[in-house]
Parts: sequence; structure tokens; C-alpha cells
Amino acid sequence: MRRPHRLRALIGAVLSLLAGAVVAQQPIVLQWQTANLTETQYEPVWKKTIAEFEAANPGIRIEPVLVARKDHWTKFVAAAQARRAPCIVSVDLTTAAYNGYLLPLDKYYNAEPAEFRKAWSDKMLSAAKWERKLYGLPIWGGTYGEIYNRDLVVKAGLDPNKPPKTFDEYIAWGRKLTGKDQWATAVLGGKTDTTTRVLLTWIWANGGEAFNADMTEATFAKNAKSLQAIKTYLSLAKDGLAAPSPTTTNYLEQTNLFAQGKIATMRNAYWAVAKVVGDNPAMNGKMFAAPIPANVPNAPTLSTMTASSISHSCPHPDAAWKFIKFDADKKWAIQRAKVANWMPLRNDLADEPEIKADPMLAQFVQMGNNARSYPLPSPVWADIAANDIVDAVQKSLLAPDKTDAIFRELDGKLTKKLRDI
Amino acid sequence: MPDIAIDAVPSARPAVAGPLARQRRRAGLAFVAPVFLFLCAVIVLPLGHAFWTSLHRVRGLSSTFVGLQNYARVLGDEPFWHSLRISLVFTGSAVALHMLLGLGLALVLHRLTFARTTLRILFLTPWMVAPAVGATIWLWLLEPQFGVVNYLLQLAGAASAPVAWLGEPRSALAAVIAVDVWRGVPFVMLLLLAGLQTIPPEQYEAAEIDGANRWQQFRYVTWPNLHYLMIVASTLDIINVIRHYDIIGVMTGGGPAGGTEVLPALLYNTAFRANRFGEAAAIGVLLLFIVLAFAIVYVRLTRLDRPENAT
Repeated sequence: MRRPHRLRALIGAVLSLLAGAVVAQQPIVLQWQTANLTETQYEPVWKKTIAEFEAANPGIRIEPVLVARKDHWTKFVAAAQARRAPCIVSVDLTTAAYNGYLLPLDKYYNAEPAEFRKAWSDKMLSAAKWERKLYGLPIWGGTYGEIYNRDLVVKAGLDPNKPPKTFDEYIAWGRKLTGKDQWATAVLGGKTDTTTRVLLTWIWANGGEAFNADMTEATFAKNAKSLQAIKTYLSLAKDGLAAPSPTTTNYLEQTNLFAQGKIATMRNAYWAVAKVVGDNPAMNGKMFAAPIPANVPNAPTLSTMTASSISHSCPHPDAAWKFIKFDADKKWAIQRAKVANWMPLRNDLADEPEIKADPMLAQFVQMGNNARSYPLPSPVWADIAANDIVDAVQKSLLAPDKTDAIFRELDGKLTKKLRDI
Repeated sequence: MPDIAIDAVPSARPAVAGPLARQRRRAGLAFVAPVFLFLCAVIVLPLGHAFWTSLHRVRGLSSTFVGLQNYARVLGDEPFWHSLRISLVFTGSAVALHMLLGLGLALVLHRLTFARTTLRILFLTPWMVAPAVGATIWLWLLEPQFGVVNYLLQLAGAASAPVAWLGEPRSALAAVIAVDVWRGVPFVMLLLLAGLQTIPPEQYEAAEIDGANRWQQFRYVTWPNLHYLMIVASTLDIINVIRHYDIIGVMTGGGPAGGTEVLPALLYNTAFRANRFGEAAAIGVLLLFIVLAFAIVYVRLTRLDRPENAT
């Protein structure tokens, strides 16, 4: 071998070694997308979670993907269609699993020790399943209750210790809580599924049902109690007890109005308390919560369950599971509950001293004992919850005298969709 | 290089023939090929894929061939026709206002002798702002509780209570048209201003000598000179506006109650919210045909090599 050839071979070998070393040192990068990352109150918790996970797993780097809640699903779908979805995602689980966007996690979950597996109840895990396969680990929970501004309640001459228990009492309170440039509450009609969540709480509180048991038929108008509840709820806007422009009000406007003292009560999950304090620190300690007023005994409230899942196109599912498991740990669940006000979903947290020490959290935990899981298990839920039902609410808010016809039409439309799967 | 000039004139083509001409044609094709392939990659292939998708029932990552079923479904559904109506109202109103205000501003700027450049830049500002940014600004300006528009209206005594501009279908449609006009007028103004500057001043001088007043000068000098440009500009504007989604996407998302759901919004909502990609692709193809119809009009107009033919 002549000298120049030897030199070239030597340079080649050195470059190959360097390239190999660079590749070997490249960490696995996992993108993490959940709309919850954009909630300010959660930011310190997720930043700490990532930092500690990366310190414990030097070969894995977590890249948070911050997407506004209203664009979260569409961005995920676009990425999933391109087979480039972030590895770790929190989306409408049934819809995403049905569309093939998620990876079944049974293999990982079943390989974990029994102690880990028993942290979630079967009921909780069933909400993270589609066609008997597990597609996510429950992480975030939100139990809905009625949250009041104590100062405004007292100012209106009402007793915070005796919150309304029925629809009629709630409306009577509403009249007293409404004044100049101030309203009792906000009716949600904005184009997000929170509109549907609140509507369902009203329907269930009146003993109604929005769907039949196997989710093949919609009964918003067919069920008389449902229709009565819808009318009562939407009439708050017509009667001037709710803030103006309900068709553009979603949870963000609702919490803003509440934080600014423009509305005295809001139907929302426990996490809204942290959001209100984030928007207006002066509200700290000035809120109280109560069960949702209901016309039937033992009416259930609504409890959202959001799971962390692994997208179908994730090239590193093992590493992704590692992070999900880390994030599902008791330590972070307590942090999420304490700092960002998400409900503790693990079985082993209810008796934790830190959870018990917070009276409002304890109250929401109590309310969550009689709650129905949300989202409802249908592969078209993401569509009907954020579009069809919201459209019907908006139409009804704009033409209250046509509510019957609008929800009858909705029943027909939804039933067709539910059966066209 | 006189032969190149001759090549460019179709009637002179027979003068160049033989192996040299073939060689030149081949060289020409070779030069054009990269651009042609690039355009195929970024336009023809996606269009073909969209059409192929429109023939399938897509459920997430799986799809089934259904022929023209998606088209039948879309055309048989009221939302498509509702969106088409909204699209026509939105496009018609926005383009008419673009033209009217654009022409007005162009005439004012053309006559101005001072601060013309400053004003031109000032008027162009809305056009320079990204549509999504502009729409977000207007979203906050029109916010019922905390928005500046309502504050000013109440201050002036023009409104007794906050107006929910985006909360009612008609006012929401009017609001998104207004924002589109705010953003679209500068471009038309610029086009027409350029047109105005090409009108020979002698024509105005001759009209003035003949005793024509301001209106008559506009009617018999300005308008005939601008007529062709107005038709071209409005056709281009229609093609542009009928495809608009960004402003509506940010401000209303097509709501309330579908009151601002133009065809592109319906397409987006069908694809990314309802996850019905096949139907969304069918809507896209139908929208393409609508745009193509206007594009054909535009091509026919611009093919007339003498503007005076059009006037």
C-alpha cells in the first residue's frame, strides 16, 4: 500500500470511529404533546418532571410540544396522518385508537410488577381501553363541580355555607348574583368540547341521558329530562343571568370572567381554581366549591380522564413507556394535584396527607366518588363533542324557541354518525 | 442574436428548422425539465393524491375505495351548500369592497402631492402583517367584554351594552369580511395605483381643455384606462379570497352555528376535526373546480393581448 493510500485509509478509519461515537452519544429524543403543557400552572411541574427524568435517563431527551388546546387535536391528527406524531401524546383516546394512531400498551403494562399495576382501579383503566386493549395510562383527572366567588356571594346577601342544591335554587341564586356588568355565571357555547362537558353535567343532574347505554343512539331531545335540563341551562343566557356572547365563550373566557369578578360562579373542574389564581392572584382563598345542583338524588358529576399514550409511529416505544411510567409516579401525581390542581387518579393517593390537607381538593375528591368518566367511549367522540353538539348549543342560544327542533335534529345526526362506524 | 428574437414570435417559427432547431428544442426542454418536475412534485402529485383520497373512505390510517361516494355524500349534505352560500357572500362582499376602497384610496394617493410615500407605506401595513397575526389582533379588538371596539362605541354613546361581534352569525360574517377588507384593500390599491400612473397626463390635459370636470375626467379618461386592470384585479382577488381560511380560522373557526363556515373552513373542519379525510378531499376537489372556473376567466382575459379590446 502506497503512503497516500495508507493515509486515506487512516483518515477514513478515524472518521468512521468519530461518526460511530457521535451516533452512539446521540440521545433518543421523545416529543411529548399534551394540551396540558400550555396551562401555566402546570409549567413548573412538567419542567421538573422532564429535568429529573433526563437526569435519571441520560440517553433519553424529552422535547415538549406546546400546542394550544383548541389546536391540539388537529395538530396531532395532521402529524399522525404523516406518520410523524409525537411519541408521547394525550388525546381523545377512543377516537385516536380507533383511527390507528396509538400503540396498544398491554405488553408494557402487563410486564410491570403487580404493585405498579394495582395503582389504578379497573374502572379507571377501562376508560383508557378500546376494544379491550389498553392505549394509555391515566395521568390527568378533572372532576367538575360548581365553583363560587365567596365575596360576590356574600355581597349578594347569600350564605356560602348553603349553596344551591337544585336547579330552582341555582336560578334563584343567579338572579341575586346578577347586577350591572356582572352576571351569575357563563353559559359555554364556544367551539371546544368543554361546551359539551358542561351540558352533560346539566343533563345528568336532571336524571337525563344524552345517549343510550351502548352509544348507538343520541337522546338529547328524545329523553324529556335531558331536553328540560338543556332548556334550563341555556335559558340562563336568554334571561340575562349569564355573561353576554355565550356562543364564543369557552373555558378560557369563562375562567377569565370569573378571575375578573365578572361572573360569580362557574361550572368547572378543580384545575380551574389554579387557573383563576394564576390569572388573578387576589382570588386566592376567595373561592369555594360545592356539588353541582341537581334535581335528582345522587346525580353523578363528570370526571375527565386524560391518559398518556404512545403514538403508533413512535420509533422508540420502550423509551416512551419509560417516561410515561416515570410521569405516572405517585410523586408527580401529588405535584399535579397540589400545584396544578389535577385530580389524583391513582388509588393510593386519596389518603396521602398532602391531598387530605387541602380542603378544596379533598372536596373535589369526594365529589369525584360519584362521577361519570369523560370522554364518552365512541370513536367519533372527538368530532361530535367538539362540533355537532357545540353547533346545536350555538344554534339554540341564537334561537331559543327552536331548541326542541335543533336537538331533535342533533339526535338524528348523531345517531347516524354513531352507527356509521 | 436575431434568430432568438425570431424564435419568440410564433409566426416566424417556420424560418428555423432542421437539426439546429431540434437541438435547440431539446436544450429548451432540458432547461425547462427541472422546473416542470419540481412543479409536478409540489402541485400535480398532491393534487393527484387529494383526488385519490377523495375516492376513499379514510378512517385514520386505513382507507377503503368507495368511488364517487364521497362526492355524492358531500353534494347531498346541506352543510356543503350552506358553506358555498357563505363563501359566495364572503367573496362577493370582500372583493367588491376591496375594489371600491382600493380604487378610492388609489385615486386619493395618485392626486396627493405631499406625504404620498408615507401614506402608501401606512396603507400597506395591514397587507404586510401576517393574516393570522392580524386576525388575532382583531379578535381581541372585537372581544365583547374587554375589547377596544366596544369600549370606544360605548364611550361615544353608540352602544349601550357590549356587542358580541363574533357571537351572532350575521355580525360575525360582517366582522370577518371587515377584517378581510382591512387586509386586502392595500394590495388592490397598489395595483390600481400602478395602473393610474401609466395613464398619460396628456389625456387629462386634453380633457381639461375640452372642459371636462373631475367626474367626467374619471368617467372618460381614468375608467377606460383602468377598466381592464380592474377586471384582472377582481378576478385575481376572487381566486384569492374564495380560498381564504386563515382569518376565519383564527377569528371564528367557521362559527357561530356555521355562520362563517366558508368552503375552506368546512374542508378543514371535516378533515381535522371530524377526521373524515375522504369527504374533506372531495370538498377540496370541488373547491378546486370553482377556483379553476375563475382561473379560466382570468387566463382568457389576460390572453387578450390588447387591453383596449377588453375596454
